[in-house]
Amino acid sequence: MIQSTSKKTVQYDDKWGITTDKTSLFLGLLALITLPLLVQTNDYILQVFTHALLLASLALAWNFLGISGSISLGHAAFFGVGAYGSALLSLEQGLSPWLTIPMAGLFATGLGLMVGLICLRLRGAYFALATLAFVEIPRVITDNWDALTRGSLGLVGISGLPTLRMGAWHVDFGSSITASYYLVFAYFVILLGLVTFVFRSNMGLALQAIREEEIAAEAVGIHVNRYRLLSLLMSAFFTGVSGACYAHLVRYIEPGLVYGLHFSAVPMIFAICGGRFTILGPAVAALVLYPVDQFIFHPLLPAGHEFLYGAVLILTMLFMPNGFWGRLRNA
Amino acid sequence: MWTTILVSGISLGSFYVLVALGFALIFGVTRNFNLAHGELLVLAGYSAYWLWKAWAFPFVLTFPFAILVILLICLGLQRLFSRLRDPIELNSIVLSFGVAILIQNSMLFCFSGDYRLIRIPILNQGFHIPGFYISYGQLTLFFLSLIILGILYVLMYRTYLGKALRATIQEKDAAALAGINVTAMGTLAFCIGAVLIGLAGPLYGCIHYLYPSTGHEATLVAITITIFAGVGRLGSIILAGWILGLAESFTVVLCGASWREMVSAVLLLTLLAFRPHGILGKGEG
Repeated sequence: MIQSTSKKTVQYDDKWGITTDKTSLFLGLLALITLPLLVQTNDYILQVFTHALLLASLALAWNFLGISGSISLGHAAFFGVGAYGSALLSLEQGLSPWLTIPMAGLFATGLGLMVGLICLRLRGAYFALATLAFVEIPRVITDNWDALTRGSLGLVGISGLPTLRMGAWHVDFGSSITASYYLVFAYFVILLGLVTFVFRSNMGLALQAIREEEIAAEAVGIHVNRYRLLSLLMSAFFTGVSGACYAHLVRYIEPGLVYGLHFSAVPMIFAICGGRFTILGPAVAALVLYPVDQFIFHPLLPAGHEFLYGAVLILTMLFMPNGFWGRLRNA
Repeated sequence: MWTTILVSGISLGSFYVLVALGFALIFGVTRNFNLAHGELLVLAGYSAYWLWKAWAFPFVLTFPFAILVILLICLGLQRLFSRLRDPIELNSIVLSFGVAILIQNSMLFCFSGDYRLIRIPILNQGFHIPGFYISYGQLTLFFLSLIILGILYVLMYRTYLGKALRATIQEKDAAALAGINVTAMGTLAFCIGAVLIGLAGPLYGCIHYLYPSTGHEATLVAITITIFAGVGRLGSIILAGWILGLAESFTVVLCGASWREMVSAVLLLTLLAFRPHGILGKGEG
């Protein structure tokens, strides 16, 4: 909230929590870098954290849109298109994932443009409902276009994460879990840097102004729809890239999985629980909640362990509407 | 063939009317979008299934139990919703999305992911009228939706209570100024909504396989019909339900069953694209 108390004004530079959170950011990244060394013998832990980092990237991508106050319940559409786009290009055309992953992001951006044309005139609740409905369209098309997508059978044998070559030196990211972990980690760090940059730029301020009071924002000369579309497209692009990474990481996708409610719900839940008006919040929530779910609730309750996400979302909405990271920083 | 499509479309539409009524009423009076609506329906279906299968209850007697279960949950839900801050509509979507995940996973835990169906043989029997065939199930759905709409009509338009409900739907603040207990009206709407869900749920289990994640589709149907019909218009709801039902039957015949799931989504998006401020149509949506 923009308030005019002197305390808030002094804190203005810390708006996004990056300065105050520098220590926690540093420690967090350090822990993530050293994690593979600490758990060398345990592939499962590393696998969970690879997924947690991917979901954290997904939540960051979601939050490009979330910062403007819009809530999307349909990001699985971009995720699925990204996953299918990259998987099909590499399977059918034999292209390297280095090429197909960004292309998948572009496919998702195209879809984002369509969503933008239909939904950007909508606000608040109606935007959320429209995105909720929109997922069904790419899902049903993917499900039925047997000739291209092999329908509901899904795609198997997707190539793993690519190899990076520089002269004689090369590293194969698909070869081991540790290597894929570092690739996803690199993607996460790049995205985090980009999110920080965007959120602290004029665009971030504009999006925040739109969230607080759209009419006032328009009155001071912010192109509301242009910025909303831009944030939607960026969100779609990186969600698509995350979907593509997921496809090459897991190497098996099917429509019900990648277009499922799960991938719409999870980034939204992480962003809201972490604090959708903060930079780090969504990522922290993903890196905490997903491992908690996998290490504690999954062994206890193999069926229905995801009730954790529902419960956390309800508690956040009732008691901490700004998310726990937002709460921590204001405390 | 066309008459068959017509009959199945109308009966499906009548069922959708039953599915949507509770959602529309709760939304109209309290402005809460209850995205857990479909999950509640499936839960009602599961509780009926459980009674019918494990305790060999006659199917008709499962309704009171299902209604009771949903009533209790809805009253709790209303407590949650009433604690939300502005913007109520958006926050209720997020909150009820969490509730939906919670219920879905509880059902997965209690009833597993297997497909269940309440088989009532008599509903699949039927009779021929020259040209087409009607099953008793289709007739039941058709008349049941009409009867329930009739009861709701009498309640809403012929009683003092209904007048208060309609006033709350139209203008909450003005209704409160006129001395209507708006909070009580909200509770009442949740109760009536719960009864409607408890009636529709077991029927859902008869004509549709029950599995934990199927509620999402019913939620989408309810949203589409509510937005199509507008708030507090019972006649439009039945029209919207029939149109959706017919559109789905035609899609199944013309394009194949797997395209059906897209119909309500496309319809909803079209509606929203042309009425961007939603059903209320004036000013901010």
